[in-house]
Amino acid sequence: MAFHHKILGIVTLLYLCLFFIHLIFFAFKKEKIVAVMWPLLYGTLGLHTVGLILRWLESYRHGMGHAPLSNFYESLVFYAWCVSLIVVFMKKRLNYPAITVCATVISLFLMGYASISPSVDRNIQPLVPALQSNWLHIHVLTCFLAYASFAVSFISGFLYMFTWKNVIPPRDILDEINYRSVVVGFPMLSAGIFTGAVWAHYAWGSYWSWDPKETWSLITWIVYAVFLHARLMRGWKGKKIAILSIVGFASVIFTYFGVNFILSGLHSYAT
Amino acid sequence: MNAIKNKAAEQVTPPGKSLFQSLQGFIASIKFSIILLTCIALGSIIGTIIKQGVGPDEYLSLYSEHTYQIINLLGLNDVYHSPWFIALLFLFAINLTLCTVRRFMPAFKGSKKASVPEESAMMDMSMSFRASTSIDDAHLFSILKGYRISYSGVEGKVFQKGVLSKYGVLFIHTSIMLILIGGFVGLVAGFKGFMVLHKGDTKNTITIGGEKPYEKPLGFSIKCKEFQVSFYPNGAPKDYVSTVEVIENGKIIFEKQIRVNEPLSYKGVHIYQASYGSAPSFTFTIGGERVSLREKEAYRNDNISLMPIRFEQDIHNFGPGIMVAYLEQGEPRTVWFVKNIERFNEKIIQGVPVRFVDIQENIYTGLSVSRDPGIWIVWAGFAFILFGLYINFFQYYRRIYIRNIAGGYLVAGIAIKNKEAFKKEFEMLREKLNGIPS
Repeated sequence: MAFHHKILGIVTLLYLCLFFIHLIFFAFKKEKIVAVMWPLLYGTLGLHTVGLILRWLESYRHGMGHAPLSNFYESLVFYAWCVSLIVVFMKKRLNYPAITVCATVISLFLMGYASISPSVDRNIQPLVPALQSNWLHIHVLTCFLAYASFAVSFISGFLYMFTWKNVIPPRDILDEINYRSVVVGFPMLSAGIFTGAVWAHYAWGSYWSWDPKETWSLITWIVYAVFLHARLMRGWKGKKIAILSIVGFASVIFTYFGVNFILSGLHSYAT
Repeated sequence: MNAIKNKAAEQVTPPGKSLFQSLQGFIASIKFSIILLTCIALGSIIGTIIKQGVGPDEYLSLYSEHTYQIINLLGLNDVYHSPWFIALLFLFAINLTLCTVRRFMPAFKGSKKASVPEESAMMDMSMSFRASTSIDDAHLFSILKGYRISYSGVEGKVFQKGVLSKYGVLFIHTSIMLILIGGFVGLVAGFKGFMVLHKGDTKNTITIGGEKPYEKPLGFSIKCKEFQVSFYPNGAPKDYVSTVEVIENGKIIFEKQIRVNEPLSYKGVHIYQASYGSAPSFTFTIGGERVSLREKEAYRNDNISLMPIRFEQDIHNFGPGIMVAYLEQGEPRTVWFVKNIERFNEKIIQGVPVRFVDIQENIYTGLSVSRDPGIWIVWAGFAFILFGLYINFFQYYRRIYIRNIAGGYLVAGIAIKNKEAFKKEFEMLREKLNGIPS
């Protein structure tokens, strides 16, 4: 077993630890526990980064040398990393255990699925010619940061549906977090689509081919454009916005997973 | 409040407003935008569920004949180029333009001149303070970093920052129009085709696909000098490289290696490495001369003319064979050559001994060729939209008023967006000027 696999295995266990620490907090409501949580999340994110870098270096040892962004396993691990990164980035706003526990569950699920599912190939694979481009890095980075921001938006929209005093943050705060995360995610998704289009122009000869992945990213983009207009122009708030953020994330999930498993197209690298 | 008012204004048609006017209002409304965007999204979803652009047989194997008729009628086999989808995009372009114009017209018609509000009005603002020390302009400018003066008079001054952010939406919407226009230009003035080249081949036309494929002249020729495919140890393809020459008017303009991700560009035409394949070529000795021919490639000399027309990997367990067509006394004939059987691999055709010697696999390169004059409009659209998104969401407009009053001055500030950040900034300003909250 390669070293980076061990590191990423530890990272998965750390996400599990984080999850349990949250549960202990919800049971005992001791503020001290929250004080442990953030440093642990920083540490986990740091080790996660180390794991990704080691995998990158390992690929050079195999004579392939490419960033760990090229197959389904790598994208799952990278998505989990992006979710943690966005949580750390938006720490001031997201400093509520109810939100961080949801983010932890998402990261844990992604890491767990990546390392346990028998249908996921965990080996470092060589890059097919279409992926041998520097656009790979910026395209995948922007797309997954967008997906991660939309995950945060989904968390706040989801939590909005419930009330639990002193655990779930007040509704107006959830509403604000929802909007703020879309404000981060929407430009990222736009950048992701545009870098993808420029890359497609150089690799496939056409910047837009209505490939299912492209089409679904456009659909996702439209959903969040409607979200922003509904909020900023029509003054939508609260439940309606929460529902829109859930619909938007469903579209994200379909763009990421659904297209790979159900529809086939030019983007079939990640299956 | 504002939102509710808008809603009411859109829904109720005041008396005296004609149907045409209310329709006009609807076309320029955000409600219509949301309806259109939803329709575009739904249409796009259909396009990803129903297989696009395949033949009738494939649809009939998936759907009933009745369903297929509906698919055909609505153009669901090619959603993204169907009239209704293009009409939706067109309506969206109109709606977007009208919405944007309606929103920004007042700003362009002549924005109100900034002025310092009355003392009482400034005191009523949620963010204001008074200071008693005197202040000179240089000091003020050094504190108000990034602010610009928009009004200066005896009674006071008005400073503002982030003016550009007011136009973020204008940038974004104009960019979307640019992208749509660029796409339209590409559709009308561009083309996309395909070219298959064996090693040594030269071609000056490309095949444009579609219902009736045709050959389109390029205006220059492409010669394939070399084509190589390399593989990783696990068998996955590593690199496809076509070495080609661009030839115009009989002169070699330049030579280039085309790889995936590294297209060739010449006179606005881009040539991409798209695919590769292999086709067998057949070696004959014709009257002692060694000749290599591909399927359907004719050979002619004074005595004989022939053409390999059909290749079979295995003929009745005798191994590979090729059917050759030739003319005998003006009559077309065919004969099978079987490579591994002595009796069948040599024939006398019109007195010339013809022997089938060898089969070679020849790889060929598939190049995709396109021209899109709208590309730079689209790229500009992308760049502007990102800039627009940045200034719209990460910059914000705020104004600071300073009014001279007896024994000092009064400072007030307003921001429409991002009030919490501005509050902090304003608090810092108050501390720096030793202000007293009013």
